[in-house]
Amino acid sequence: MKRETREYRFDWMIWSILHHAAMSTGGTRKEYERLLDLVPHFRDVLDSFIRHGEPGRLFLKLIAEYAGMCITARERGKKVALTTFCMATPLLFAFDVVPIMLEAWTVLGTIVLRRGTAEYLDYCSEVGFTETSCSAQRGALGALLAGLAVRPGFIVCDSPGICDTNANSFSFTSAYLDIPFFQLDYPPSIMDERATGYQKKDFRELIVFLEAHTGTTLDENTLREVLDEVRLQDGLASELIDLMRLKPSPVPGLFDIMLYGGRFMMNGKKIYTELLRSMLRTAQANAAAGISGTTSKRERARGLFCYIDHYTTDARFWKWMDEQDISHLGSILFTFWHSDAPYARERPGEAYHIDSSSMEAMVDTLAAQMSRMPMIKQIRGPYDAPGMWLDDLLGAVRLLKPDFVAYIGSMGCRNSWGVNKLLARDLEREGVPAVILFADAFDDRVQSWESVIDKMDEFLQLRRIGI
Amino acid sequence: MMEEMREAARALYHPLVRKWKEAGKTVIGYPCTFVPEEIIHAAGMLPYRMRGIGTTSLSIGDTYFGPVICSLPKCMLQLAGEHAYGFLDGVIITNGCDSMRRLNECWRKAGEDIPGILPGYFHYFGVPHKAASYSYEWYEEEIRELIKSLEEHFGVKVTEKALRKSIRLYNESRRLLQKLDDLRSGTEARMTGEDALTVILAGSAMPREEYTALLKTLLKDLKKALPIDKGRKRLMLVGSSNDDPEFVRLIEDSGALVVADSLCFGSRSYEDLTNEEGDPVASLSRRYLNQCRCPRMFGCYQDRLSLILDKAEKARVDGVILQNIRFCDLHGSENGIFERDLEARGIPCMRMEREYGPLVETGRIRMRIDAFLERIA
Repeated sequence: MKRETREYRFDWMIWSILHHAAMSTGGTRKEYERLLDLVPHFRDVLDSFIRHGEPGRLFLKLIAEYAGMCITARERGKKVALTTFCMATPLLFAFDVVPIMLEAWTVLGTIVLRRGTAEYLDYCSEVGFTETSCSAQRGALGALLAGLAVRPGFIVCDSPGICDTNANSFSFTSAYLDIPFFQLDYPPSIMDERATGYQKKDFRELIVFLEAHTGTTLDENTLREVLDEVRLQDGLASELIDLMRLKPSPVPGLFDIMLYGGRFMMNGKKIYTELLRSMLRTAQANAAAGISGTTSKRERARGLFCYIDHYTTDARFWKWMDEQDISHLGSILFTFWHSDAPYARERPGEAYHIDSSSMEAMVDTLAAQMSRMPMIKQIRGPYDAPGMWLDDLLGAVRLLKPDFVAYIGSMGCRNSWGVNKLLARDLEREGVPAVILFADAFDDRVQSWESVIDKMDEFLQLRRIGI
Repeated sequence: MMEEMREAARALYHPLVRKWKEAGKTVIGYPCTFVPEEIIHAAGMLPYRMRGIGTTSLSIGDTYFGPVICSLPKCMLQLAGEHAYGFLDGVIITNGCDSMRRLNECWRKAGEDIPGILPGYFHYFGVPHKAASYSYEWYEEEIRELIKSLEEHFGVKVTEKALRKSIRLYNESRRLLQKLDDLRSGTEARMTGEDALTVILAGSAMPREEYTALLKTLLKDLKKALPIDKGRKRLMLVGSSNDDPEFVRLIEDSGALVVADSLCFGSRSYEDLTNEEGDPVASLSRRYLNQCRCPRMFGCYQDRLSLILDKAEKARVDGVILQNIRFCDLHGSENGIFERDLEARGIPCMRMEREYGPLVETGRIRMRIDAFLERIA
């Protein structure tokens, strides 16, 4: 890592950018436009959000708040947990623990910083972590290992049984920094009684671990408050996804990352509810006007991403989709499997239901919610087993009617790269054009952005999609 | 006797397997040390640990798997696709690691395209990543389901008596292998690392009764053998799957002796014994799930470090080679911390990432080993 990179704390640097970005529309339009000239490396991403009006501003506020919560946690006497995107936050918030989510910080760094997280990614290799590990964690992990981010008090992850490379980064960090570690471990099935029983027992062990490391016990009223907020958020998210079913989809593409990014960071917090309400208002207005959520108000094609999105530099992935008049119909990260979600309506046995009638019921709810987080639900077993990746994807295809499905992942993802060709073949057999992009969603050095869009253009042309 | 072992270690369908099949008996393949061999043995079948040896192409492996996947399961799929595993009556796949667990889907789907490559019995065995009371229970239930499925599919019966007998037999052979380790890593080493790996590999692919008898004879002979370690650097080999004795020979040809290991195809398979008392299924669950030697068991780094330190001290090693197959992030990353912590204790280390399969990288590996031996000279 370069000496000058070491001179700035990764997390404070990102917070500072986001914090000021969130305030940028506090003045007049003229002031805002002048400001853009002063932030040449950040103006595109900033403007991407600001152009979306209130929801964009609220999202900037949410991520700035999240970043601020993380960097000031220790000063405020809060316990800090290092965790992963697929670990639902409500339990941690009920314990008043601040969740530092590696993937969220990697994405923030990747989108916001001029050179992305390349140096932090590489720093992991300098200290012994494999270069073939997942870049989703390595981006922020490099900063943490270099002492350039808040040191967590303990580590909790829920990827064992789901994704080895994800779980391994937390296990590695625990060993490297000598930090206490707890893993939620998932069996290869989800709907059977045996798997449910295992998850419940494991989840209760997590609570014991959190009680031991926070010195507190889980408070029933606090937990109920958080869950009530989650219930509200689930309902709003469902309405938004329902609107996506319309042709044209009235939901702007950027709402995709705002929906799941906001949820990963702030599920159970009021600011996320506010964001969802605002997104819903915009989408409803578009729907009432019968227009697409794209800037041009037209929908040329509808795209579904069967794994994750592409996060490097300036949020240009969403910008490109928008310029192409392609509606973004979400990705695997979009599905949380609450009982009133449109994709869960015909498969109620696979969904979680919020029951806040007692402490036991709430803990079971949280265990069920956690076990249905994106990736946790779909990737735990054979991809073609009931309720797994293929089932969920075909369900989304039937619901949202995309014109194509695209795979983007990271080179560290053994699980998805182990079967994505099979998945694409199955989709094609179902009549859905499918493409596998050899890009790394967090690291442009694997495949340049230009190559990614060339490949997408070629695919759309070849399959005559939206033409 | 060593020749019999070599034959069993060198070829997939070696004479002892052929003899077993000619007797009309069943062979069950499995890819990972977390599958309890005793169950298969107690069902009157031959537990056979699958490997990827002898592959000359990855045309099939690369077709179904993606590019960033460990080459071991790819080689296994390649061999399956070429009908080289046609002698297997059944296969048990486990989630040893992500690359390996996807062999399940890739093999099944390849089986739809290439007739006759998918055995009639194809079972998924889910192993937890932690050792807690409820994960032991889970593993026990997996064993009971495995027994039931074997019984139903093959029309056999796994009795408690047979299972106890299998446990005793496997314990006996594991004790013999531990004695072999003593002779290999003692003050005066009497066996090369290449031969030791050959012996261990043979055990994963031949009838256990015959193997145990061969081991007894081998141990007697070795006790009379002359020391072979004079003037050679004593090394320990650590990391992911290595089932290639030639890789060890390459190291030893440079003037070293591999006196100890902690490898997936090495000593990890016999360092723990199963409790012979109590419920045999529960005992097997404890034995298999308690072994934290593989980094797939997350959060047990300190245990693994202690094991390596103990072994290194006992074998008086001059250095440790930490190797992993490319894309094996579990071993590769942990090797990074081992390097830090072993070097801090004065144990020289060399990390090496390599490909599984025929030694196409001989020159590079030899050069690195020579440099390492020079460093610790």
